[in-house]
Amino acid sequence: METTLQPELQGHFETAQARIAAATSAEELRAVDRDYLDKGGVVAGLLAAIPTLPPEQRRGAGQGANQLKTAVLGAIDVRKAELEADAIQAARSGKGFDPTLPGTPMRRGSLHPVTRVTRELEDIFSSMGYGILDGPEVEIDAFNFERLNIPSDHPARDMHDTFWCKVDGAERDSDMGLLLRTHTSCVQVRAMEKLKPPFRVVVPGRVFRQESVDASHEHTFHQMEGLVVGEGLTVGHLIGTMKTFLREVFQKEIEVRLRPGYFPFVEPGFELDARCPFCETVGAGCKVCKQTSWVELCPCGMVHPSVLKLSGIDPEKYTGFAFGLGLSRLVMLRYEIDDIRHLMGGDTRFLSQF
Amino acid sequence: MFISYSWLNRHVDLTGISPHAIARNLTLQTAEVEGVEPFAPALAEVVVGHVLSREAHPDADKLGITQVNVGTGEPLQIVCGAPNVGPGQLVAVAVVGTKLPAADGTTFKIKKSKIRGVESIGMICSERELGLGDEHDGIWVLPFAPDEKQDMIGKPVAELLGAVEGHYDWIIEIDNKSLTHRPDLWGHRGIAGEVAAILGRDLKSIATELPAHGKADPVTVKVESKGCSRYLGIAIDGLENGKSPEWMRHLLLATGQRPIDLLVDISNFVMLDLAQPNHLFDRNELSADGILVRDAKDGETMTTLDGEERKLTSADMLITSGGEAVALAGIMGGEASKVKEGTTQMLLELATFAPTQVRLTSQRLALRTDSSARFEKHLDPTLPMKAAAHLVSLLAELQPSISLPSAPAEGGDWTDPACEIPVRPDRVRAVLGLTQDELSNLRMEEMLTLLGFGVVGADQATWTIQVPSARSTKDVSLEEDIIEEVGRSFRYDNIPEQRVMAEIAPVAHDPRRSLVRRIQDRLSGSSGFDEVMTHSFVDVELCERLGTAGEPTVRAINPVAEGYERIRRSVVPNLLGLVASNLKLQPSTYLYEVGKGYLPEEPHGKFAEPREVHEAALVLAKAGTASTEVADFASSCLFELKGVVEDLLFATESARPGRGGLAGVVWASPDEDMELAPYAHPGRCMVARAADAKGKATGPVLAFVSAIEPGVGAALGLTGDSAAEVAFACVSIDDLIAANDKPILHRPIPRFPGVKVDVAFALAEATTAAEAELIIQQSGKGLVADIELFDLYQGDKVGAGQKSMAWHVLLQSDTKTLGDKDLHKFLKRVENGATRIGGELRKD
Repeated sequence: METTLQPELQGHFETAQARIAAATSAEELRAVDRDYLDKGGVVAGLLAAIPTLPPEQRRGAGQGANQLKTAVLGAIDVRKAELEADAIQAARSGKGFDPTLPGTPMRRGSLHPVTRVTRELEDIFSSMGYGILDGPEVEIDAFNFERLNIPSDHPARDMHDTFWCKVDGAERDSDMGLLLRTHTSCVQVRAMEKLKPPFRVVVPGRVFRQESVDASHEHTFHQMEGLVVGEGLTVGHLIGTMKTFLREVFQKEIEVRLRPGYFPFVEPGFELDARCPFCETVGAGCKVCKQTSWVELCPCGMVHPSVLKLSGIDPEKYTGFAFGLGLSRLVMLRYEIDDIRHLMGGDTRFLSQF
Repeated sequence: MFISYSWLNRHVDLTGISPHAIARNLTLQTAEVEGVEPFAPALAEVVVGHVLSREAHPDADKLGITQVNVGTGEPLQIVCGAPNVGPGQLVAVAVVGTKLPAADGTTFKIKKSKIRGVESIGMICSERELGLGDEHDGIWVLPFAPDEKQDMIGKPVAELLGAVEGHYDWIIEIDNKSLTHRPDLWGHRGIAGEVAAILGRDLKSIATELPAHGKADPVTVKVESKGCSRYLGIAIDGLENGKSPEWMRHLLLATGQRPIDLLVDISNFVMLDLAQPNHLFDRNELSADGILVRDAKDGETMTTLDGEERKLTSADMLITSGGEAVALAGIMGGEASKVKEGTTQMLLELATFAPTQVRLTSQRLALRTDSSARFEKHLDPTLPMKAAAHLVSLLAELQPSISLPSAPAEGGDWTDPACEIPVRPDRVRAVLGLTQDELSNLRMEEMLTLLGFGVVGADQATWTIQVPSARSTKDVSLEEDIIEEVGRSFRYDNIPEQRVMAEIAPVAHDPRRSLVRRIQDRLSGSSGFDEVMTHSFVDVELCERLGTAGEPTVRAINPVAEGYERIRRSVVPNLLGLVASNLKLQPSTYLYEVGKGYLPEEPHGKFAEPREVHEAALVLAKAGTASTEVADFASSCLFELKGVVEDLLFATESARPGRGGLAGVVWASPDEDMELAPYAHPGRCMVARAADAKGKATGPVLAFVSAIEPGVGAALGLTGDSAAEVAFACVSIDDLIAANDKPILHRPIPRFPGVKVDVAFALAEATTAAEAELIIQQSGKGLVADIELFDLYQGDKVGAGQKSMAWHVLLQSDTKTLGDKDLHKFLKRVENGATRIGGELRKD
């Protein structure tokens, strides 16, 4: 382009080019644009002078002015592009950037560890087609004991350390046998009232035992009851169910053992122990299992025929199994919590860890 | 219950079976073993020494200097203060370095010492020093002649006594709870029976019949009480009470009983052996009228042999003689008639008492004894005679001079509980989940026979199982009970696992559970709250601080601590109770709990149970004092919490798929007739209700948000340096489920751009934001798409009693692009509207 420019315009162009090359901002380029290309600018001046020229020069002068205009514009565009590229390059610099400065603070909440484990178990059982039920914490004798084959003179009642309740200003207390439920098993009865076999349900919830609190005892703790009623259910099904469940919870194969246990609402009744999942080598024993290599996980058994009958289910046609998982215990195992009092303690330094 | 290995060995030959093997087998097949510990472990430490000589100590009359051979060549010189030590004895020697148990439960180490100037190398031990009882009048002379046991000198004493796995005896502790249904296992013979069945060995026989008796008149026994089904009274003469033999004392010690004297010890021994409690009366202290078993009279008292005077009711049962109470039936004997030193004639009582009656009396008197624990379990009524035979035969071995002057006297009306149960072997397999191959009929029959059941008709589809009386009082009465017997013999452990096969069907959906999950996710998630779980009990002291102590509640009759009997009506109070302690540690507290409360004044259902309410309670507290100026509302805990709750109400759509979301929420002051909790701030609280199609509040209160009542804040200690700003909220989950049930329907995205305009009002202080916003809404005639308060000012510029509020308003139409004309019309209507609520549209 320079070569085609008329020699007399060369000076103008060089001056402009020098300014363009020296420009370091869009603003300076706009000034060049203004000085050369705007109204009253150099090009406009050249064009304005054309009528004063002899006619044979007018055409050449016009072309020259336009050539100058194109040349200046082109140079500005080139420089503009250079400046933009420089700016992006400059913007890419991380100079002074400190990735360790804190992010804008957001408060972080927490889900109670019991909620976490409850949900985990609910999800496992839901995926196996179990319904999830709820029941009242203030229960009546009928559901907590009588209908579970524990009549009022049954010595098993002594094992329950029941909180018996009364109601302010009411006279009906004694007949009702109001109490704080000692296990989630009372919801077995409520389930059988509500559902027709076959059915599978689990019931998480808090339960109460009248005992003094220390690092390993709470009068309020959590259980999850399970109840499966159907045709042809066997002890083998109970074992299979518990093993499947444990595999899901601990994400590995867990050896279990079933040994006799006595609970009036099941017959036969068992205690289910799991091979301690915390021992470094299986069977070695550790702090968690008190060196026995087994952890007591849940009482369970085949639903007692009297319990089925009391709820109007034919024990000849249907059998069932039930289990009572110690949720609080599972929570403590999972998070290695060594003091049960933390669970109901309300200290945010504990809670905010979850 | 403690079971001694040596004791078991009296009933079944345990050769080759370790205590741990027994424990493991019992756990897997019978009952839970809680631990296995050596008995008197010191006996494995001390060695057999032969006392060669004893000389007097030159400086102390009572001390002797002995030379004792402990098999190390040179005899040891041991200074010993016991009067009974002498040459020719075998004794237990603690050589230097031996650790012995100390009285306080620790151990001490034997050192070489000088006693009154004479060197003593070791110690000759008394029974007490070895953990074998209280005896410490002299050293323990081992009951063997040195000549016969030369080879044992220097060996551990336990070995001399016939050690098992290095120890004299082992104690197997069985969890009592797992024996609740097995009255037969409350003694060593019962456990031995299980062990025999497990090992396939025979149970050794014991005496089952009384020896011949004299012809004197039997003691009169009369039973009036219904609670006594059998009372056996056996007179025994020719007694000489004294110390019981060493083996018996040691077995009693091993199982946690303190030996007293022969008669008491043998009584305890038989109870721990056969599980039959029994009582011995000094017959000379009884009336010639004999024994009458009757119910106590209300207010009657008796002194039990622990020296306590017991106040009785007609629900208790007494053994009386000549009108005097001599024993509290099944629980404890009386002080006056107990056997003692010098007793030569006694009456042995063996009875069967009603489990419930014994249990209730022992509970009421808080008097739990070994005897009551057994009667509670429903003992076999055939057991008294067996136990009598056993006791008399043991006693006769020790005191051949005894005799029975008369026939046993018997009262009560009992029947043998032995029964027969039809059992289908196919059903047994079906319930256990086993096939014929895994469990044959033959095997099943064998298992039952080993456990003492009779099997009749084993070639048929239904067998008749004969249940012995020891198992039929409580435990075994149904086919399922036999299934258990077979299952545990087979070992549940050996049953192969099976998968439950079932129809694939949707599971019933619990809307409350889904809602609770959403609430938890929202609060613990974006709202940044910590989920807490507090007790269902509320401490009376907290109630007093909160002003709720007078509210009706469900109460525990037997609370863990006095003042901790109230069951919560609402979840809020216990959360408020956590504020002060948490603020000591952090500047702010964001807590919530989802839980249940109980309202006794609203009974419901068939059983008139107290109404259960489900709520989410939230507490937000910050240390320090905050401005309560209206204009500063946005920075207050109260409005921060309001924001959280509003978010919650909208975010927790109903659990039913495709439904949910409140159309809107209307906030207002609580209605005049709404009863506020005493800890709520009457002037700074609000309620949220669902909005109907016209934006009006409808339905029940979904959420209550309040500042804490200032007096309550002070009562909680939140004043002075601990001053804090506290807001709380209570969201009714039950009502939210009901309200939150609108279908979720898509609305088209606006096609025309909206117009933003700011509207500012000068208003009287008392005019609410909601009133002003209603004016703006109405002025929009359906065009107001969004409205947001961005300024609230009170101060000099607007004058006293006045305030200024300003909103960003978005006007938008579904049908056209709005123009200046529309905007003008809107502002004109707003201006008119403002005057209707006593304010004006600001134009500056």
